Amino acid sequence: MDDQDPGDPASAETALRRIEDLLRELAPQVLGTLVRRHGQFDACEDAVQEALLAAALQWPVDGVPDRPRSWLLTVAGRSLVDQWRSESARRRREETAALDPAGHAPATDQDDTLVLLFLCCHPALSPSSQLALTLRAVGGLTTAEIAAAFLVPEATMAKRISRAKERVRKAGARFELPPQPERAERLGVVLHVLYLVFNEGYATSSGHVLRRAELTVEAIRLARMLHRLLPTEGEVSGLLALMLLTDARRAARTDSGGAIVPLAEQRRELWDAAAIAEGMALVTTTLGTAPVGPYQLQAAIAAVHDEAPSDQDTDWPQILALYGVLDQIAPGPAVTLSRAVALAMVHGPKAGLALLGTLDTDDRMAHTHRPEAVRAHLLEDAGDTVGARESYLQAAKKTASAPEQRYLTLRAARLRQPAPPTDPAG
Amino acid sequence: MKYMIMMFGGLGATMENRTPEWITSMHEFMLKLDGELKEAGELVAGHGLVDPSQAKTVRFQNGAPVPTDGPFAEIKESLAGYWLVDVSEERAIEIASQVVAFTEYPMEVRQITHG
Repeated sequence: MDDQDPGDPASAETALRRIEDLLRELAPQVLGTLVRRHGQFDACEDAVQEALLAAALQWPVDGVPDRPRSWLLTVAGRSLVDQWRSESARRRREETAALDPAGHAPATDQDDTLVLLFLCCHPALSPSSQLALTLRAVGGLTTAEIAAAFLVPEATMAKRISRAKERVRKAGARFELPPQPERAERLGVVLHVLYLVFNEGYATSSGHVLRRAELTVEAIRLARMLHRLLPTEGEVSGLLALMLLTDARRAARTDSGGAIVPLAEQRRELWDAAAIAEGMALVTTTLGTAPVGPYQLQAAIAAVHDEAPSDQDTDWPQILALYGVLDQIAPGPAVTLSRAVALAMVHGPKAGLALLGTLDTDDRMAHTHRPEAVRAHLLEDAGDTVGARESYLQAAKKTASAPEQRYLTLRAARLRQPAPPTDPAG
Repeated sequence: MKYMIMMFGGLGATMENRTPEWITSMHEFMLKLDGELKEAGELVAGHGLVDPSQAKTVRFQNGAPVPTDGPFAEIKESLAGYWLVDVSEERAIEIASQVVAFTEYPMEVRQITHG
């Protein structure tokens, strides 16, 4: 902090950000060390939160301590002891002796972070609890921040997190990596949780800005961390690449008024070239060296979009081929839906509509507006203005996303036939 | 005092026959009003609801709750969204009036019980 002029708001902002980044990098390491020493994941997690809050208040004023990790361990350790004291004056008094922060080497930090991720994404938890716990224990976000991100009251989120910790404890989870036979499956859950965090941020990113951490940014940070820990896992690389290649379009996804801009109409010069380059490199080095999986394929598809200089130059046959592979290894209605779009781009809207029709009876799609929205676009491309308008309106009624609703209503309004004036209150 | 300001009608009812320009200006108006209420410290909560055509209604029939598709009331009488504001009744009515002037749809203002 010595090189910062405290009077300059820009550099003060940078300094604050640096402290936040450092704190959140250290959060899972400190927690891992504490849990390894004392067990009691839930108590340790509370203690680390307190230490993070104390640091967030103190470091910007006093400067970052020379050994920030030890500082956090000491404060968290003290808080843990306080907790125990208040629970029972006698119980575990000897623990105070074990709280010397210099005692343990950071050699296991990386494993600890990984173990924590597996623990927070425990199969006994509901997805919403997995998300919340991961963001707090591994991401180092405060309950208030997580609550703001998910648009629920802080008390609700606090309950959700404490219930989640209780459930992890009751499930008898141990602070160690899952045994090898389960590990692939458990890693799949971890990846899915990070994917959900990303999507939550991506779907709500227009208009709604988080105070400290956008969920997409946080998801990318966690995926990057996981990639560092497991560099040869193809699906981890694939997920990170998918996030980077998707988030790269963020600035172009909405216009100045916050309205959605579809991919075909986006100003590509607004795309983040550095993120695209990083994602592309990940896709290139991963494909062929690891067993192919759905995240890698989706990343490859995003890469084809991102490398096209314009919408017209998009290599749709390549995208269609990739969706074909995806359909074979991980079939599902969402894949069929995307394949219908690609099919329409290669073989015309009628071909796309025919494939889309196969989803009409699929119950898994009953709760989403997306098939209807795709149908609307394809009908519009096919020149069926009346049908397209009807589908846009149907899709608008189905979506719970306000920006989507507005986008679809506007598309419908553009296709509107002049109608006789009606009494709006009638 | 806390008041709930309720808006009725579905997406279809309010927007179906509007021009793109009207829809855009309506959105801007709502964003602005939301911002003002937040800025003034008057807004407690506020949410829009999905179109009433997506609603499920649970009725007590033959001695048991029975869920069915669709809203209980006519769509134009169905709740579309609400603001919860911490203001005087006068101010609550003033807020509602601003919206009604724009949408031309009726709104209801009711005090929240306390204690």
